[in-house]
Amino acid sequence: MKTSVNTLEREARKKSAIHNLDSRIKLIMTLIIIVYGVYTTNLLNLLLIEIYIIFLVFLSKISLKYYLKRIVYILPFGGFIAIFQPFIRPGDILYTLPFGLSLSYQGVQFGILLLSRLTVSISMIVLFSSSTPMNSIINAMRRLGFPKVLSMILSLTVRYLFVFFDELDNIRNAQKSRCFNIWNHKISYMWILRQLGYTIMMIFLNSFEKGEKIYFSMLSRGYNGESNQYIEEPSMKHINYFVLILTIAIIIFIELK
Amino acid sequence: MHIPDGFIPISQCIVYYVIVIFVGYFAVNWAKNNLDEKQIPLLSVLGAGVFAIMSMNIPIPWGTSGHMIGSPIVSILLGSPFAGFLVMTVVLIIQALAFGDGGVTVLGANIFNMGIIASFLGFYIFKALKPLIHAIPSVFIGSFLAIFITSIACALELFIAGTFPLTAGLVFMGLYHFVIGIVGEGIISAIVYMAINNLRPDLISKKSLDLKRED
Repeated sequence: MKTSVNTLEREARKKSAIHNLDSRIKLIMTLIIIVYGVYTTNLLNLLLIEIYIIFLVFLSKISLKYYLKRIVYILPFGGFIAIFQPFIRPGDILYTLPFGLSLSYQGVQFGILLLSRLTVSISMIVLFSSSTPMNSIINAMRRLGFPKVLSMILSLTVRYLFVFFDELDNIRNAQKSRCFNIWNHKISYMWILRQLGYTIMMIFLNSFEKGEKIYFSMLSRGYNGESNQYIEEPSMKHINYFVLILTIAIIIFIELK
Repeated sequence: MHIPDGFIPISQCIVYYVIVIFVGYFAVNWAKNNLDEKQIPLLSVLGAGVFAIMSMNIPIPWGTSGHMIGSPIVSILLGSPFAGFLVMTVVLIIQALAFGDGGVTVLGANIFNMGIIASFLGFYIFKALKPLIHAIPSVFIGSFLAIFITSIACALELFIAGTFPLTAGLVFMGLYHFVIGIVGEGIISAIVYMAINNLRPDLISKKSLDLKRED
């Protein structure tokens, strides 16, 4: 997980046409495409949207291997449910398997629909997150009117995410160097759980202590409960509006075709 | 328990979003009135911590593994279910937007499950049981029931969305999270509570402190 956290940011800080787009525009585009992907029930529409996303991926110069790896890593969670649809959905029976299992036509249809929706939304979100640094995502949300308190909590969380993954890694390495393995059947299960519990407790304690430290360091820089942030990103260029309008036009075209 | 995009139709997603925004309004108000400015950095760092905790695998006897959700124990430690809600909202937004874990359209449903149901159940079960039995068993029962009932709610939502049949969903989600609830959430939360109660009792909210502690 930790490596994925770091490679995520590495990919997100590359330079390309997509990376250079304003993060607000990218966020709105992502939302529009995903909402449309979930809304439509036409497989052809989903295919066309997917082609558009793949085109954007090529523009963005993200390493394809990395991109596919991330999709493959995320897909199984929902893919599992989609693949089982033919067996659990009642309908016209296509084929009967032993053990009382049967494939239904409606199930196959629905399963394919779910899987394609899933592919569209995941490929879009992976494209978005690998072309936008996490900080810009939060800034985009803040500038689009997300509540101030929450966006401040979010931006601090994003900042400390990496620290915590490092910390977790340190704890894990220390445990590994003592031959601690959660799958070891020779030690008592309760003991393993207790060690994990202590690890998690350490993370909680660290959070509390860091929270205090951060508060004091913010206080010493003039923090008063309000958060006003300087955002370094440049103002919107015309190309951004153009890309947004293009995306909306493509979706309307796909829907009406 | 992260529902992916496409599993719940847009019309139903909106309902969950409305509920989340409604609770979110109270949560932000609560944060304004009850949290001094000191605790805002704390909530965010806890969010980062919970994020890391969620990526830790906890072994389950049948060779699989699960992970903790963490909102019940956060609510218990900070003494309000709104704290769990805020931390979970932050974590789920980052997971959805930056990691693709859980969908964007279903973000409302995911926050409803893990942020609202789990935090409120975990905290209020703990609060109700604490005077009756010792604090540590009530942490265990609160976190366990919170996760178990959340998984049932998740199965129900998928049924209402027409994605998964009711009985199969209840059996799969229920059984799996029954075990995760006991091992991953219940026992681990109890250990965390016990350890923090012994080491740094000042960090636990006064409402949740174990007063029978032996010094």
